[in-house]
Amino acid sequence: MAEVLILGAGVSGHTAALHLRRLLGSQHKVTVVSPNSQWNWIPSNIWVGVGEMAKKDVVFPLAPVYARKKIGFHQAKAVAIRPKGDADDSRGAVDIEYTLPEKAGTTERLRYDYLINATGPKLKFEATEGMGPGGHTESVCTADHAVEANHKLREVIEVLKTGKPQTLVVGTGHGTCTCEGAAFEYVFNVDHELRQAGVRDLARVVYLTNEAALGDFGVDGMVFDQQGFQTTSELWTGSLFRERGVEAVVGTHVHRVEERTIHYETLDGTTHTLEFDFAMLIPPFGGVPLQAYDAEGNDITSELFAPSGFMKVDADYTPKPYEEWRAEDWPTTYAAPGYDNIWAVGIAFAPPHQISKPRKSPNGTVIAPSPPRTGMPSGVMGKTVAMTIADRIKHGTSAAPHTASMARMGAACVASAGTGLTKGSAAAMTMLPVVPDYQRFTTGRDERETRGELGLHGHWVKLMLHYLFLYKAKARPGWQMIPE
Amino acid sequence: MTQLSMHEPAGGGNPVLDLSKAPLPTAKTLGARRNLWLQFWRFVAFDLRIMRMVIKGHH
Repeated sequence: MAEVLILGAGVSGHTAALHLRRLLGSQHKVTVVSPNSQWNWIPSNIWVGVGEMAKKDVVFPLAPVYARKKIGFHQAKAVAIRPKGDADDSRGAVDIEYTLPEKAGTTERLRYDYLINATGPKLKFEATEGMGPGGHTESVCTADHAVEANHKLREVIEVLKTGKPQTLVVGTGHGTCTCEGAAFEYVFNVDHELRQAGVRDLARVVYLTNEAALGDFGVDGMVFDQQGFQTTSELWTGSLFRERGVEAVVGTHVHRVEERTIHYETLDGTTHTLEFDFAMLIPPFGGVPLQAYDAEGNDITSELFAPSGFMKVDADYTPKPYEEWRAEDWPTTYAAPGYDNIWAVGIAFAPPHQISKPRKSPNGTVIAPSPPRTGMPSGVMGKTVAMTIADRIKHGTSAAPHTASMARMGAACVASAGTGLTKGSAAAMTMLPVVPDYQRFTTGRDERETRGELGLHGHWVKLMLHYLFLYKAKARPGWQMIPE
Repeated sequence: MTQLSMHEPAGGGNPVLDLSKAPLPTAKTLGARRNLWLQFWRFVAFDLRIMRMVIKGHH
Protein backbone atom coordinates (compact mmCIF):
# COMPACT_ATOMS: atom_id res chain seq x y z
CA MET A 1 0.00 0.00 0.00
CA ALA A 2 1.26 3.48 -0.86
CA GLU A 3 0.23 6.74 0.77
CA VAL A 4 0.03 9.94 -1.27
CA LEU A 5 -0.29 13.20 0.63
CA ILE A 6 -1.44 16.38 -1.12
CA LEU A 7 -1.03 19.77 0.53
CA GLY A 8 -3.66 22.15 -0.79
CA ALA A 9 -7.08 21.74 -2.38
CA GLY A 10 -7.07 24.45 -5.00
CA VAL A 11 -7.17 23.83 -8.73
CA SER A 12 -3.90 21.86 -8.91
CA GLY A 13 -4.13 19.99 -5.59
CA HIS A 14 -7.78 19.03 -6.00
CA THR A 15 -7.21 17.95 -9.62
CA ALA A 16 -4.25 15.80 -8.52
CA ALA A 17 -6.31 14.20 -5.73
CA LEU A 18 -9.22 13.29 -8.01
CA HIS A 19 -6.97 11.83 -10.71
CA LEU A 20 -4.90 9.86 -8.19
CA ARG A 21 -8.05 8.38 -6.71
CA ARG A 22 -9.21 7.45 -10.23
CA LEU A 23 -5.86 5.96 -11.22
CA LEU A 24 -5.01 4.07 -8.03
CA GLY A 25 -6.69 1.04 -6.50
CA SER A 26 -8.47 1.30 -3.17
CA GLN A 27 -5.51 -0.36 -1.42
CA HIS A 28 -3.62 2.91 -1.85
CA LYS A 29 -4.32 5.93 0.29
CA VAL A 30 -4.84 9.47 -1.06
CA THR A 31 -5.07 12.23 1.54
CA VAL A 32 -5.59 15.96 1.16
CA VAL A 33 -4.60 18.60 3.72
CA SER A 34 -6.21 22.00 3.25
CA PRO A 35 -6.86 24.83 5.70
CA ASN A 36 -10.05 25.64 3.82
CA SER A 37 -13.27 23.69 4.19
CA GLN A 38 -14.51 24.81 0.78
CA TRP A 39 -13.36 24.64 -2.81
CA ASN A 40 -13.51 27.98 -4.62
CA TRP A 41 -13.72 28.52 -8.39
CA ILE A 42 -11.60 31.66 -8.12
CA PRO A 43 -12.12 32.97 -11.69
CA SER A 44 -15.79 33.63 -10.85
CA ASN A 45 -14.92 35.66 -7.74
CA ILE A 46 -14.92 38.60 -10.17
CA TRP A 47 -18.68 38.23 -10.53
CA VAL A 48 -19.14 37.94 -6.77
CA GLY A 49 -17.19 41.18 -6.47
CA VAL A 50 -19.78 43.03 -8.54
CA GLY A 51 -22.83 41.28 -7.09
CA GLU A 52 -23.65 39.23 -10.18
CA MET A 53 -23.08 35.96 -8.31
CA ALA A 54 -23.42 35.00 -4.66
CA LYS A 55 -20.64 33.37 -2.66
CA LYS A 56 -22.58 30.10 -2.66
CA ASP A 57 -22.36 30.02 -6.47
CA VAL A 58 -18.56 29.83 -6.48
CA VAL A 59 -17.78 27.55 -3.52
CA PHE A 60 -18.80 24.10 -2.26
CA PRO A 61 -17.74 22.01 0.76
CA LEU A 62 -14.83 19.66 0.13
CA ALA A 63 -15.53 17.07 2.84
CA PRO A 64 -18.59 15.42 1.17
CA VAL A 65 -16.76 15.11 -2.16
CA TYR A 66 -13.71 13.54 -0.52
CA ALA A 67 -15.91 11.22 1.56
CA ARG A 68 -17.72 10.05 -1.61
CA LYS A 69 -14.46 9.55 -3.51
CA LYS A 70 -12.77 7.87 -0.51
CA ILE A 71 -10.05 10.52 -0.31
CA GLY A 72 -8.78 11.29 3.19
CA PHE A 73 -9.22 14.92 4.24
CA HIS A 74 -7.71 16.94 7.05
CA GLN A 75 -8.91 20.52 7.38
CA ALA A 76 -5.57 21.78 8.55
CA LYS A 77 -2.57 23.80 7.46
CA ALA A 78 0.79 22.19 6.81
CA VAL A 79 3.52 23.82 8.87
CA ALA A 80 6.59 21.66 8.27
CA ILE A 81 7.90 19.04 5.87
CA ARG A 82 10.29 16.33 7.03
CA PRO A 83 11.34 14.70 3.74
CA LYS A 84 13.66 12.20 5.45
CA GLY A 85 11.31 11.47 8.34
CA ASP A 86 12.36 11.72 11.96
CA ALA A 87 14.03 9.62 14.65
CA ASP A 88 10.99 7.31 14.86
CA ASP A 89 10.36 6.63 11.17
CA SER A 90 12.45 7.28 8.05
CA ARG A 91 9.36 7.81 5.87
CA GLY A 92 8.69 11.39 4.90
CA ALA A 93 6.31 13.32 7.13
CA VAL A 94 4.36 16.56 7.25
CA ASP A 95 3.42 18.39 10.44
CA ILE A 96 -0.06 19.84 10.28
CA GLU A 97 -2.08 22.14 12.51
CA TYR A 98 -5.86 21.80 12.35
CA THR A 99 -8.03 24.71 11.30
CA LEU A 100 -11.22 22.65 11.68
CA PRO A 101 -13.05 24.52 14.49
CA GLU A 102 -13.50 21.41 16.68
CA LYS A 103 -9.78 20.59 16.51
CA ALA A 104 -8.35 24.08 16.00
CA GLY A 105 -4.71 24.32 17.02
CA THR A 106 -4.24 20.56 17.44
CA THR A 107 -1.12 19.27 15.70
CA GLU A 108 -0.40 15.95 14.02
CA ARG A 109 2.42 14.36 12.00
CA LEU A 110 1.27 12.62 8.80
CA ARG A 111 3.51 10.12 6.97
CA TYR A 112 3.72 9.82 3.24
CA ASP A 113 5.33 7.84 0.44
CA TYR A 114 4.62 10.55 -2.14
CA LEU A 115 4.03 14.24 -1.47
CA ILE A 116 2.51 16.96 -3.66
CA ASN A 117 2.89 20.54 -2.50
CA ALA A 118 -0.03 22.47 -4.00
CA THR A 119 -0.41 24.99 -1.21
CA GLY A 120 -1.18 27.94 -3.49
CA PRO A 121 -0.34 31.52 -2.60
CA LYS A 122 0.01 33.49 0.59
CA LEU A 123 -1.71 36.80 -0.12
CA LYS A 124 0.93 39.30 0.97
CA PHE A 125 -1.18 42.39 1.63
CA GLU A 126 1.38 43.33 4.27
CA ALA A 127 3.90 44.05 1.49
CA THR A 128 2.11 47.38 0.95
CA GLU A 129 1.21 49.56 3.91
CA GLY A 130 -2.51 50.23 4.19
CA MET A 131 -3.51 47.73 1.50
CA GLY A 132 -6.03 44.92 1.76
CA PRO A 133 -9.32 44.17 3.47
CA GLY A 134 -7.78 45.11 6.84
CA GLY A 135 -6.66 48.40 5.35
CA HIS A 136 -8.14 50.75 2.80
CA THR A 137 -8.50 48.64 -0.35
CA GLU A 138 -10.64 45.71 -1.43
CA SER A 139 -9.66 42.36 -2.92
CA VAL A 140 -11.33 39.65 -4.99
CA CYS A 141 -8.73 36.98 -4.22
CA THR A 142 -11.12 34.97 -2.03
CA ALA A 143 -14.90 34.63 -2.16
CA ASP A 144 -15.23 36.45 1.18
CA HIS A 145 -13.03 39.30 -0.04
CA ALA A 146 -15.20 39.54 -3.18
CA VAL A 147 -18.39 39.74 -1.10
CA GLU A 148 -16.91 42.64 0.85
CA ALA A 149 -15.71 44.32 -2.36
CA ASN A 150 -19.25 44.20 -3.72
CA HIS A 151 -20.64 45.79 -0.53
CA LYS A 152 -18.21 48.68 -0.90
CA LEU A 153 -18.94 49.00 -4.61
CA ARG A 154 -22.69 49.22 -3.91
CA GLU A 155 -22.05 52.02 -1.40
CA VAL A 156 -20.13 53.96 -4.04
CA ILE A 157 -22.91 53.39 -6.60
CA GLU A 158 -25.44 54.76 -4.10
CA VAL A 159 -23.30 57.89 -3.66
CA LEU A 160 -23.05 58.26 -7.44
CA LYS A 161 -26.83 58.08 -7.65
CA THR A 162 -26.99 61.21 -5.49
CA GLY A 163 -25.04 63.01 -8.23
CA LYS A 164 -21.67 63.13 -6.44
CA PRO A 165 -18.70 62.11 -8.63
CA GLN A 166 -16.57 59.20 -7.40
CA THR A 167 -13.17 57.77 -8.37
CA LEU A 168 -12.80 54.01 -8.59
CA VAL A 169 -9.32 52.48 -8.86
CA VAL A 170 -8.70 48.86 -9.82
CA GLY A 171 -5.37 47.17 -10.41
CA THR A 172 -2.28 45.75 -8.79
CA GLY A 173 -0.65 46.96 -5.60
CA HIS A 174 2.98 45.93 -5.31
CA GLY A 175 5.27 46.10 -8.34
CA THR A 176 5.82 42.33 -8.29
CA CYS A 177 2.16 41.30 -8.34
CA THR A 178 0.76 38.65 -10.63
CA CYS A 179 -2.86 38.01 -11.76
CA GLU A 180 -3.14 41.23 -13.78
CA GLY A 181 -5.86 39.41 -15.73
CA ALA A 182 -8.08 39.40 -12.64
CA ALA A 183 -7.65 43.15 -12.21
CA PHE A 184 -8.36 43.65 -15.92
CA GLU A 185 -11.57 41.63 -15.59
CA TYR A 186 -12.66 43.42 -12.48
CA VAL A 187 -12.16 46.93 -13.87
CA PHE A 188 -14.38 46.17 -16.87
CA ASN A 189 -17.00 44.43 -14.74
CA VAL A 190 -17.07 47.51 -12.48
CA ASP A 191 -17.42 49.69 -15.59
CA HIS A 192 -20.27 47.43 -16.78
CA GLU A 193 -22.05 47.65 -13.40
CA LEU A 194 -21.74 51.43 -13.36
CA ARG A 195 -23.30 51.58 -16.83
CA GLN A 196 -26.09 49.22 -15.76
CA ALA A 197 -26.76 51.50 -12.77
CA GLY A 198 -26.83 54.55 -15.07
CA VAL A 199 -24.05 56.35 -13.21
CA ARG A 200 -21.01 55.78 -15.43
CA ASP A 201 -20.81 59.43 -16.52
CA LEU A 202 -20.18 60.53 -12.92
CA ALA A 203 -17.50 57.93 -12.24
CA ARG A 204 -13.79 58.17 -12.99
CA VAL A 205 -12.46 54.63 -13.44
CA VAL A 206 -8.69 54.14 -13.29
CA TYR A 207 -6.69 50.98 -13.98
CA LEU A 208 -3.40 51.02 -12.07
CA THR A 209 -1.05 48.23 -13.12
CA ASN A 210 2.52 47.02 -12.70
CA GLU A 211 2.48 45.90 -16.35
CA ALA A 212 4.91 48.00 -18.42
CA ALA A 213 2.29 48.09 -21.17
CA LEU A 214 -1.40 47.29 -21.40
CA GLY A 215 -2.06 43.70 -22.49
CA ASP A 216 1.16 42.38 -20.95
CA PHE A 217 -0.80 40.20 -18.46
CA GLY A 218 2.49 39.04 -16.90
CA VAL A 219 3.20 36.88 -19.96
CA ASP A 220 5.20 39.49 -21.93
CA GLY A 221 2.14 40.38 -23.99
CA MET A 222 0.97 38.56 -27.09
CA VAL A 223 1.10 39.06 -30.84
CA PHE A 224 -2.06 38.15 -32.72
CA ASP A 225 -2.68 37.58 -36.39
CA GLN A 226 -5.73 39.69 -37.12
CA GLN A 227 -7.08 39.72 -40.66
CA GLY A 228 -3.63 39.21 -42.15
CA PHE A 229 -1.85 41.73 -39.94
CA GLN A 230 0.13 41.27 -36.77
CA THR A 231 -1.33 43.19 -33.89
CA THR A 232 -0.26 43.30 -30.26
CA SER A 233 -2.29 42.57 -27.17
CA GLU A 234 -1.26 46.11 -26.12
CA LEU A 235 -3.11 47.72 -29.00
CA TRP A 236 -6.00 45.29 -28.69
CA THR A 237 -6.59 45.93 -24.98
CA GLY A 238 -5.87 49.65 -25.44
CA SER A 239 -8.82 49.72 -27.81
CA LEU A 240 -11.10 48.35 -25.09
CA PHE A 241 -9.83 50.89 -22.53
CA ARG A 242 -10.46 53.72 -24.98
CA GLU A 243 -13.90 52.41 -25.96
CA ARG A 244 -14.97 52.08 -22.32
CA GLY A 245 -13.38 55.30 -21.13
CA VAL A 246 -11.20 53.59 -18.53
CA GLU A 247 -8.01 55.51 -17.73
CA ALA A 248 -4.84 53.45 -17.53
CA VAL A 249 -1.64 54.05 -15.60
CA VAL A 250 1.06 51.45 -16.32
CA GLY A 251 4.35 50.41 -14.74
CA THR A 252 3.29 51.23 -11.18
CA HIS A 253 4.37 50.15 -7.73
CA VAL A 254 2.12 51.21 -4.87
CA HIS A 255 4.21 52.32 -1.88
CA ARG A 256 1.37 52.87 0.58
CA VAL A 257 -2.34 53.45 0.78
CA GLU A 258 -3.96 55.90 3.13
CA GLU A 259 -7.66 56.38 3.57
CA ARG A 260 -8.74 57.55 0.10
CA THR A 261 -5.17 58.15 -1.19
CA ILE A 262 -2.84 55.83 -3.09
CA HIS A 263 0.87 56.74 -3.17
CA TYR A 264 2.67 55.11 -6.07
CA GLU A 265 5.80 55.23 -8.17
CA THR A 266 6.08 54.64 -11.91
CA LEU A 267 8.89 53.13 -13.99
CA ASP A 268 10.39 56.55 -14.71
CA GLY A 269 11.00 56.97 -10.97
CA THR A 270 8.43 59.70 -10.39
CA THR A 271 5.99 59.43 -7.51
CA HIS A 272 2.31 60.29 -7.61
CA THR A 273 -0.82 60.27 -5.51
CA LEU A 274 -4.26 59.22 -6.59
CA GLU A 275 -7.37 60.06 -4.58
CA PHE A 276 -10.03 57.35 -4.58
CA ASP A 277 -13.43 56.48 -3.20
CA PHE A 278 -13.21 52.77 -4.01
CA ALA A 279 -10.11 50.70 -4.73
CA MET A 280 -9.54 47.03 -5.47
CA LEU A 281 -5.84 46.21 -5.64
CA ILE A 282 -4.41 42.71 -6.10
CA PRO A 283 -1.66 41.84 -3.56
CA PRO A 284 1.62 40.09 -4.41
CA PHE A 285 1.78 36.34 -3.85
CA GLY A 286 4.33 34.53 -1.72
CA GLY A 287 4.72 30.87 -0.92
CA VAL A 288 2.67 29.52 1.99
CA PRO A 289 5.16 29.52 4.89
CA LEU A 290 6.48 25.98 5.40
CA GLN A 291 9.57 24.88 7.28
CA ALA A 292 11.63 21.85 6.31
CA TYR A 293 13.72 19.67 8.61
CA ASP A 294 16.02 16.70 8.11
CA ALA A 295 15.77 13.50 10.16
CA GLU A 296 17.88 15.04 12.94
CA GLY A 297 15.67 18.10 13.13
CA ASN A 298 18.10 20.48 11.38
CA ASP A 299 16.46 23.27 9.38
CA ILE A 300 16.76 22.55 5.63
CA THR A 301 14.10 25.07 4.53
CA SER A 302 16.50 26.89 2.19
CA GLU A 303 17.31 23.57 0.49
CA LEU A 304 13.67 22.96 -0.48
CA PHE A 305 12.32 26.48 -0.83
CA ALA A 306 13.32 29.66 -2.65
CA PRO A 307 13.49 32.86 -0.55
CA SER A 308 10.02 33.73 -1.89
CA GLY A 309 8.64 30.69 -0.07
CA PHE A 310 7.90 28.78 -3.28
CA MET A 311 9.26 25.23 -3.58
CA LYS A 312 12.23 24.59 -5.85
CA VAL A 313 11.59 22.07 -8.61
CA ASP A 314 13.36 20.91 -11.78
CA ALA A 315 13.77 24.44 -13.18
CA ASP A 316 17.02 26.19 -14.08
CA TYR A 317 17.38 28.81 -11.35
CA THR A 318 20.70 30.18 -12.62
CA PRO A 319 20.34 33.99 -12.58
CA LYS A 320 20.53 35.34 -16.14
CA PRO A 321 19.37 38.41 -18.05
CA TYR A 322 16.05 38.54 -19.91
CA GLU A 323 17.78 38.16 -23.27
CA GLU A 324 19.17 34.77 -22.20
CA TRP A 325 15.94 33.31 -20.86
CA ARG A 326 15.00 30.08 -22.60
CA ALA A 327 12.02 27.75 -22.66
CA GLU A 328 14.25 25.04 -21.18
CA ASP A 329 14.56 27.08 -17.95
CA TRP A 330 11.00 26.07 -17.07
CA PRO A 331 10.29 22.87 -15.13
CA THR A 332 8.84 19.84 -16.85
CA THR A 333 8.27 17.24 -14.10
CA TYR A 334 7.84 19.54 -11.03
CA ALA A 335 9.96 17.16 -8.90
CA ALA A 336 11.88 18.71 -6.01
CA PRO A 337 15.66 18.45 -6.63
CA GLY A 338 17.20 15.61 -4.62
CA TYR A 339 13.88 13.97 -3.81
CA ASP A 340 12.14 11.49 -6.07
CA ASN A 341 8.90 11.54 -4.09
CA ILE A 342 8.16 15.27 -3.67
CA TRP A 343 6.59 17.59 -6.27
CA ALA A 344 5.29 21.16 -6.24
CA VAL A 345 2.54 22.30 -8.63
CA GLY A 346 0.45 25.37 -9.35
CA ILE A 347 1.44 28.55 -7.60
CA ALA A 348 3.50 26.53 -5.06
CA PHE A 349 6.42 25.86 -7.41
CA ALA A 350 9.19 28.45 -7.71
CA PRO A 351 9.38 29.78 -11.28
CA PRO A 352 12.90 30.19 -12.70
CA HIS A 353 12.24 33.86 -13.48
CA GLN A 354 9.49 36.17 -14.68
CA ILE A 355 7.95 35.83 -18.15
CA SER A 356 7.59 39.57 -18.78
CA LYS A 357 10.76 41.61 -19.02
CA PRO A 358 11.65 42.69 -15.45
CA ARG A 359 12.19 46.40 -14.95
CA LYS A 360 13.45 48.71 -12.23
CA SER A 361 12.75 52.38 -11.73
CA PRO A 362 15.78 54.73 -11.45
CA ASN A 363 15.19 54.56 -7.68
CA GLY A 364 15.80 50.80 -7.73
CA THR A 365 12.15 49.87 -7.24
CA VAL A 366 11.46 46.53 -8.90
CA ILE A 367 8.37 46.74 -11.10
CA ALA A 368 8.14 43.31 -12.66
CA PRO A 369 4.96 41.24 -12.98
CA SER A 370 5.39 37.73 -11.56
CA PRO A 371 4.50 34.83 -13.84
CA PRO A 372 0.89 33.68 -13.64
CA ARG A 373 0.57 29.93 -13.04
CA THR A 374 -3.07 29.56 -12.15
CA GLY A 375 -6.12 28.08 -13.89
CA MET A 376 -5.50 25.84 -16.89
CA PRO A 377 -1.72 25.34 -16.37
CA SER A 378 -2.30 24.60 -12.66
CA GLY A 379 -4.78 21.85 -13.45
CA VAL A 380 -2.50 20.35 -16.10
CA MET A 381 0.43 20.28 -13.65
CA GLY A 382 -1.75 18.58 -11.01
CA LYS A 383 -2.88 15.89 -13.43
CA THR A 384 0.65 15.37 -14.81
CA VAL A 385 2.16 14.78 -11.38
CA ALA A 386 -0.78 12.51 -10.45
CA MET A 387 -0.02 10.37 -13.52
CA THR A 388 3.69 10.25 -12.63
CA ILE A 389 2.92 9.07 -9.09
CA ALA A 390 0.34 6.52 -10.26
CA ASP A 391 2.89 5.06 -12.73
CA ARG A 392 5.56 4.89 -10.02
CA ILE A 393 3.20 3.07 -7.68
CA LYS A 394 1.98 0.66 -10.35
CA HIS A 395 5.17 0.07 -12.33
CA GLY A 396 7.99 0.84 -9.92
CA THR A 397 10.08 3.88 -9.15
CA SER A 398 11.92 3.73 -12.49
CA ALA A 399 8.75 4.65 -14.43
CA ALA A 400 9.44 7.72 -16.59
CA PRO A 401 7.85 10.91 -15.29
CA HIS A 402 5.10 12.67 -17.23
CA THR A 403 5.94 16.20 -18.29
CA ALA A 404 4.05 19.48 -18.70
CA SER A 405 6.23 22.52 -19.24
CA MET A 406 4.60 25.95 -19.32
CA ALA A 407 6.90 26.59 -22.27
CA ARG A 408 5.07 23.83 -24.19
CA MET A 409 1.48 23.93 -22.93
CA GLY A 410 -1.18 26.38 -24.00
CA ALA A 411 -3.75 28.25 -21.98
CA ALA A 412 -7.07 29.92 -22.51
CA CYS A 413 -7.68 33.16 -20.66
CA VAL A 414 -11.21 34.48 -20.75
CA ALA A 415 -11.36 37.89 -19.14
CA SER A 416 -14.91 38.96 -18.44
CA ALA A 417 -15.79 42.52 -19.39
CA GLY A 418 -19.36 42.41 -18.12
CA THR A 419 -22.11 39.89 -17.49
CA GLY A 420 -25.45 39.10 -19.12
CA LEU A 421 -26.51 36.37 -21.55
CA THR A 422 -27.22 38.96 -24.27
CA LYS A 423 -25.39 42.02 -22.92
CA GLY A 424 -22.24 40.40 -21.55
CA SER A 425 -18.80 40.60 -23.05
CA ALA A 426 -15.35 39.14 -22.55
CA ALA A 427 -11.88 39.27 -23.97
CA ALA A 428 -11.25 35.66 -24.92
CA MET A 429 -7.60 34.79 -25.47
CA THR A 430 -5.69 31.64 -26.23
CA MET A 431 -1.92 31.37 -26.17
CA LEU A 432 0.44 28.58 -27.06
CA PRO A 433 2.77 28.27 -25.29
CA VAL A 434 2.20 30.20 -22.06
CA VAL A 435 5.92 31.01 -21.79
CA PRO A 436 7.05 32.49 -25.11
CA ASP A 437 9.71 30.53 -26.93
CA TYR A 438 11.55 32.87 -29.28
CA GLN A 439 13.75 30.03 -30.52
CA ARG A 440 10.73 28.21 -31.98
CA PHE A 441 8.45 31.11 -32.92
CA THR A 442 9.41 34.57 -34.19
CA THR A 443 6.67 36.17 -32.08
CA GLY A 444 7.35 33.80 -29.17
CA ARG A 445 4.15 31.85 -29.73
CA ASP A 446 2.30 29.78 -32.31
CA GLU A 447 0.39 32.46 -34.22
CA ARG A 448 -2.28 29.99 -35.32
CA GLU A 449 -3.20 29.22 -31.70
CA THR A 450 -2.52 32.61 -30.13
CA ARG A 451 -5.64 34.69 -30.64
CA GLY A 452 -7.68 37.36 -28.97
CA GLU A 453 -11.35 38.08 -29.55
CA LEU A 454 -13.85 40.40 -27.92
CA GLY A 455 -17.54 39.75 -27.82
CA LEU A 456 -20.59 38.20 -26.25
CA HIS A 457 -19.32 34.69 -27.02
CA GLY A 458 -16.44 35.28 -24.61
CA HIS A 459 -18.96 35.74 -21.81
CA TRP A 460 -20.68 32.50 -22.79
CA VAL A 461 -17.31 30.70 -22.74
CA LYS A 462 -16.52 32.03 -19.26
CA LEU A 463 -19.97 31.05 -18.01
CA MET A 464 -19.61 27.59 -19.54
CA LEU A 465 -16.21 27.15 -17.88
CA HIS A 466 -17.75 28.20 -14.55
CA TYR A 467 -20.34 25.41 -14.67
CA LEU A 468 -18.01 22.83 -16.24
CA PHE A 469 -15.24 23.27 -13.69
CA LEU A 470 -17.61 23.27 -10.72
CA TYR A 471 -19.09 20.04 -12.10
CA LYS A 472 -15.64 18.57 -12.56
CA ALA A 473 -14.43 19.66 -9.11
CA LYS A 474 -17.51 18.03 -7.55
CA ALA A 475 -16.39 14.79 -9.28
CA ARG A 476 -19.78 14.25 -10.87
CA PRO A 477 -20.16 11.38 -13.38
CA GLY A 478 -17.80 11.76 -16.33
CA TRP A 479 -15.78 14.54 -14.63
CA GLN A 480 -12.53 13.13 -16.00
CA MET A 481 -13.74 13.78 -19.57
CA ILE A 482 -13.52 17.54 -18.94
CA PRO A 483 -9.98 18.68 -19.79
CA GLU A 484 -7.96 20.69 -17.31
CA MET B 1 3.64 48.82 -34.92
CA THR B 2 1.70 51.40 -32.92
CA GLN B 3 2.63 51.30 -29.24
CA LEU B 4 0.65 52.93 -26.49
CA SER B 5 3.63 53.80 -24.39
CA MET B 6 3.52 57.56 -24.22
CA HIS B 7 2.66 58.99 -20.83
CA GLU B 8 0.56 62.09 -20.79
CA PRO B 9 0.40 63.67 -17.32
CA ALA B 10 -3.27 64.34 -16.89
CA GLY B 11 -6.11 63.70 -14.52
CA GLY B 12 -4.72 65.33 -11.38
CA GLY B 13 -1.03 64.80 -12.15
CA ASN B 14 -1.33 61.09 -12.78
CA PRO B 15 0.57 59.74 -15.82
CA VAL B 16 -2.49 58.41 -17.59
CA LEU B 17 -1.78 56.61 -20.88
CA ASP B 18 -2.57 58.45 -24.05
CA LEU B 19 -5.02 56.08 -25.73
CA SER B 20 -5.93 58.38 -28.61
CA LYS B 21 -3.95 56.11 -31.00
CA ALA B 22 -5.80 52.98 -29.91
CA PRO B 23 -8.26 51.91 -32.62
CA LEU B 24 -11.90 52.41 -31.80
CA PRO B 25 -14.29 49.69 -32.99
CA THR B 26 -16.67 50.71 -35.75
CA ALA B 27 -20.44 50.47 -35.32
CA LYS B 28 -20.32 47.36 -37.51
CA THR B 29 -17.75 45.71 -35.22
CA LEU B 30 -19.72 46.61 -32.09
CA GLY B 31 -22.85 45.16 -33.70
CA ALA B 32 -21.03 41.96 -34.63
CA ARG B 33 -19.84 41.55 -31.03
CA ARG B 34 -23.49 41.48 -29.92
CA ASN B 35 -25.03 39.59 -32.86
CA LEU B 36 -26.38 36.35 -31.39
CA TRP B 37 -25.98 34.31 -34.58
CA LEU B 38 -22.40 35.45 -35.27
CA GLN B 39 -21.47 35.10 -31.63
CA PHE B 40 -22.82 31.55 -31.51
CA TRP B 41 -20.38 30.57 -34.26
CA ARG B 42 -17.53 32.41 -32.55
CA PHE B 43 -18.42 30.48 -29.38
CA VAL B 44 -18.21 27.17 -31.25
CA ALA B 45 -14.95 28.18 -32.96
CA PHE B 46 -13.35 29.29 -29.68
CA ASP B 47 -14.31 26.04 -27.94
CA LEU B 48 -12.83 24.01 -30.80
CA ARG B 49 -9.64 26.06 -30.57
CA ILE B 50 -9.36 25.35 -26.85
CA MET B 51 -9.81 21.63 -27.52
CA ARG B 52 -7.21 21.70 -30.30
CA MET B 53 -4.80 23.46 -27.97
CA VAL B 54 -5.45 20.94 -25.20
CA ILE B 55 -4.62 18.09 -27.60
CA LYS B 56 -1.65 19.88 -29.16
CA GLY B 57 0.06 21.44 -26.21
CA HIS B 58 -0.71 19.69 -22.97
CA HIS B 59 1.40 16.55 -23.13
